[in-house]
Amino acid sequence: MLKYVLQRVLFMLVALFLVSLFTFFLINSVPGGPFENPAIRPEVRLAMERRFHLDQPLIVQFGHFLRGIVTFDFGISLIVQPSRDITDILMERFPITIVLNLLSNFILVPVGFFLGSLAALKRNRFGDHAISALVVVFISVPGFVLASLMQYFLAFRLGWFPLVFSTSQNWDWDRFYSMILPVLALSFGGIAFITRFLRGELTETLNSDYMLLAKTKGLRTGQAIFRHALRNSLIPVMGMLVGIFVGILGGSIVVEEIFAIPGMGRIMINALLSHDYPLVMTTTVMYTAIALVARLLIDLSYSIVDPRVVVGGGKSAS
Amino acid sequence: MHHNNNAELIKNYTFTEDDFKFHEKSDVIADVAPENPPVGFFKDAMIRFSKNKASMVALFMLVFIIVMAIFGPMMGDFHFREQNVQWDRLPPRIPFLENLGIFDGTSTVTVQVANMPNWEHVYIETVRTFYQTAGARTVAMAEIRIDAYANVGAEDIYFWFGSDMLGRDLWTRLWRGARVSLMMAAIAVLINLTIGVIYGAVAAYYGKKTDLIMLNIMEIFSAVPTLIVVILIATRLGTSMWSLIGALTFSGWIGMANMMRAQFYRHKGQEYVMAARIMGASDKRLIFRYILPNAIGPTITQVAVAIPVFMMTEAFLSYLGLGIQAPEPSVGVLLSQGQEMLLTNPHAVFFPALVISLLMLSFQMMSNGLRDAFDPTLRGH
Amino acid sequence: MTMTMTDNILQVKNLSVEFKTFTGNVKAVRDVSFDLARGETLAIVGESGSGKSVTSKAIMGILQQNATISQGKISYSDMDLTKISQKQFSNIRGSRMAMVFQDPLSALNPVMKIGKQITESLVLSGKISKKDAPEKAMELMRAVAIPEPEKRYNQYPFQFSGGMRQRIVIACALAGDPELLICDEPTTALDVSVQSQILELIKDLQKERNLSVIFITHDMGVVAGIANRMAVMYAGKIVEIGNVDEVFYNPQHPYTWNLLAAMPDMDTGSDEKLLSIPGTPPNMLHPPVGDAFAARNKFALNIDNRLEPPMFKISDTHYAATWLLHPDAPKVEMPEVLQKRLERQKAKGVDGFGK
Repeated sequence: MLKYVLQRVLFMLVALFLVSLFTFFLINSVPGGPFENPAIRPEVRLAMERRFHLDQPLIVQFGHFLRGIVTFDFGISLIVQPSRDITDILMERFPITIVLNLLSNFILVPVGFFLGSLAALKRNRFGDHAISALVVVFISVPGFVLASLMQYFLAFRLGWFPLVFSTSQNWDWDRFYSMILPVLALSFGGIAFITRFLRGELTETLNSDYMLLAKTKGLRTGQAIFRHALRNSLIPVMGMLVGIFVGILGGSIVVEEIFAIPGMGRIMINALLSHDYPLVMTTTVMYTAIALVARLLIDLSYSIVDPRVVVGGGKSAS
Repeated sequence: MHHNNNAELIKNYTFTEDDFKFHEKSDVIADVAPENPPVGFFKDAMIRFSKNKASMVALFMLVFIIVMAIFGPMMGDFHFREQNVQWDRLPPRIPFLENLGIFDGTSTVTVQVANMPNWEHVYIETVRTFYQTAGARTVAMAEIRIDAYANVGAEDIYFWFGSDMLGRDLWTRLWRGARVSLMMAAIAVLINLTIGVIYGAVAAYYGKKTDLIMLNIMEIFSAVPTLIVVILIATRLGTSMWSLIGALTFSGWIGMANMMRAQFYRHKGQEYVMAARIMGASDKRLIFRYILPNAIGPTITQVAVAIPVFMMTEAFLSYLGLGIQAPEPSVGVLLSQGQEMLLTNPHAVFFPALVISLLMLSFQMMSNGLRDAFDPTLRGH
Repeated sequence: MTMTMTDNILQVKNLSVEFKTFTGNVKAVRDVSFDLARGETLAIVGESGSGKSVTSKAIMGILQQNATISQGKISYSDMDLTKISQKQFSNIRGSRMAMVFQDPLSALNPVMKIGKQITESLVLSGKISKKDAPEKAMELMRAVAIPEPEKRYNQYPFQFSGGMRQRIVIACALAGDPELLICDEPTTALDVSVQSQILELIKDLQKERNLSVIFITHDMGVVAGIANRMAVMYAGKIVEIGNVDEVFYNPQHPYTWNLLAAMPDMDTGSDEKLLSIPGTPPNMLHPPVGDAFAARNKFALNIDNRLEPPMFKISDTHYAATWLLHPDAPKVEMPEVLQKRLERQKAKGVDGFGK
């Protein structure tokens, strides 16, 4: 087990290194640079470039970047929020994005589980059909379209919710209130995916022989469903959660735009467009690391929940 | 002891001598030969697909949208690039339908009651009046419905789906955009399918070390934050159709490769493959002639869903200002431009949203139909 | 029958079960009646789709959602099992009747420890405490001859072999100390070498615990070794029922003849042909008028296509549903092949069948 975890962590570091290398050269291959701006005088530009090592060969620059990452000194932003510590920027922006993500997960996981199990238990009856229709709508209409529609109808026409993110600087009620619509917009896709997937899984387990055995052993229907069917169907659903989590991290960029939320979205786009190299590299490494760690955590928890999964037992056996 | 329901029947039945003669069988009892001629796998799949009502509706919807994407831009009076800035942000107006009170080219504006005479030439009705307090003054306001076309001197003009902020015809642009989006998504999916199928097949077929290395490469690819790469590619190569396709395929093939790999693993150990191998079939032949046709079903199903998902990703890029180069429209570009005038002209979002949702819906339903059609266990049903 | 009513723990009367499908109602079980005495083993034999499994599932109250009991009664100690609620049913299941399934791999929850699965229902219904559960589980595992129960207790189904898994399923079934055990093809999914061990186990347990057993199988060879009585089912109906030696040595229904003749034995010579049954069973969406077996019956009478035969009494315990038993019917001898074999078998005793 420990050996397997170490192996995975090692692989993660290699992957992280390769991804940063790739991103680094890709971003440097885009013509232009952070200080290539007619408003900046050439001698100032040269001085700035020297200060941030931009005049040195790429490989040396990459070395500087790596040293920074390893020592957790991510440097300062060049353009987006000039001279500000990147750590500072992240500390200010990332919590908003992550809270948005977590709140969505808190909604979509239980709602998806509830709707999915309900659909499976009421299979081919009215409840199931109603839920299936809802799922089709949630999957068919892009999340940002739903976000726009909600903004138009619920916030603008009906005035139930604030149009945009609260300007409040604290984590107070105003802020949470203004997060409701964005969080909902981010949840719909996940709800649909979990509902559909769980319905399929649960239908299969409900018809399994071990459900019959559980019943003939004398378990009540509710007990049998809860102890055998539901628990067993949740295992494959778990694997989806990483995908949903990472998906929302990406998807929140547009929703943040729509509701003017000061999260990571705008920062990332601006950094990319303005060649703010240190900021781009730091966010890339951070997002990659999050995806990799989430993947690892899910894989490890599989081995706890499902005894058939022997951790480190070779990947090719499927 | 043993009750029979037909006890009554038997009691009332008068037995004849004929009853107890051996039944003369006109033909020999034999195992019945299959009634229908043998049906090939694909043909059978197609038959079952065409029997599925939902997927036929989806297919019809899809064909309709594709036909509109081809001919729609020619049906209106405008070119997709044609700007008539004086006619900007007009609501939809369609001949004949306008008489029914829909698509009649009217819009509501909020004005001061005192200014209402200025609007007299286009005034239709007052929706409501209210008082608004601004500072110390309280002003009587009115929400009035006006003929937006007459207001800009475009009485004879019909923008079926309205116009955008540059006075371009949204009907023409929507179908033109649908054409661009569909084409881009279809090409991207085809590329992904080709790479994914070959990659997954090779990884699973050779297994062991090859598989492990190929799997690791795949994991690294999927760990790259797609969005960052997509934005970088778009900024590096510009926002032409091909660079967007490049961005969409960067890690898009991984899902297909994964699926193909899993399917291949299931099939490669089966006896028909073993038999073919014993008879001396080459690796290439085994992969492409034996396993692939059997293993490709679920992946094909995936294709149908992948197309609208790519259209969504493209729309997503447009939202970030990385959509296809102006003045070329795409569904995504229209959505993001519509978003800017959502509060005043919601129709600009509504129509593209409807098209992308219908496409998603029909592709989804078709994919479900295809899945059932290709499911070997459901054959003959 | 010779047995009085009080001896019967289960009585099935005119049971019919239908499945709703998109194409119509499939009549899976039609007018089935039998009873089961305490300590008796009844085998129900038939090809797949003959309704034998559906009958057993109806008794256990675990029919699929789209199945309905369209008529009939299942009497079990003053209760009609077709009428009671699911809640009442779950009080009977496990503690008074239990079931063993065909495929032990899919019958066990893959992610729950074996020991827990065996005693689960006892703990949940409060019959034993959580603390006593392991001891009880091990006791049951010993009863079904699982070696090293202390170690096995904490393992998962995938760590067991097929035969061992079936022993676990049997242990699960025995946990509540039931009086009625339904075995639905318990040996079909197992290796031949393991089959006889499981049969022996069921037989031993039946004797030890004086269980009443309904043993469902398509294998005539298994029946002789395990059952006291047997019922032959075809197209949802019982066509012949009687004590095992009556049905084996004096079969009356042409379908039973076919089944017996299709079964190979040690002495089947190379010159002797095994009979196969021509044709296929009827489509139970639209059961034919008259005798469902008529179309495949070499000895079909005209009336077979007009009127369904009633059960004709052969002895107090032996009945068959064929018009050939009607006094007016022409006398028909069973196929010669079968006759020869029966004579040979009689010399050896019932157990010689299928061995």
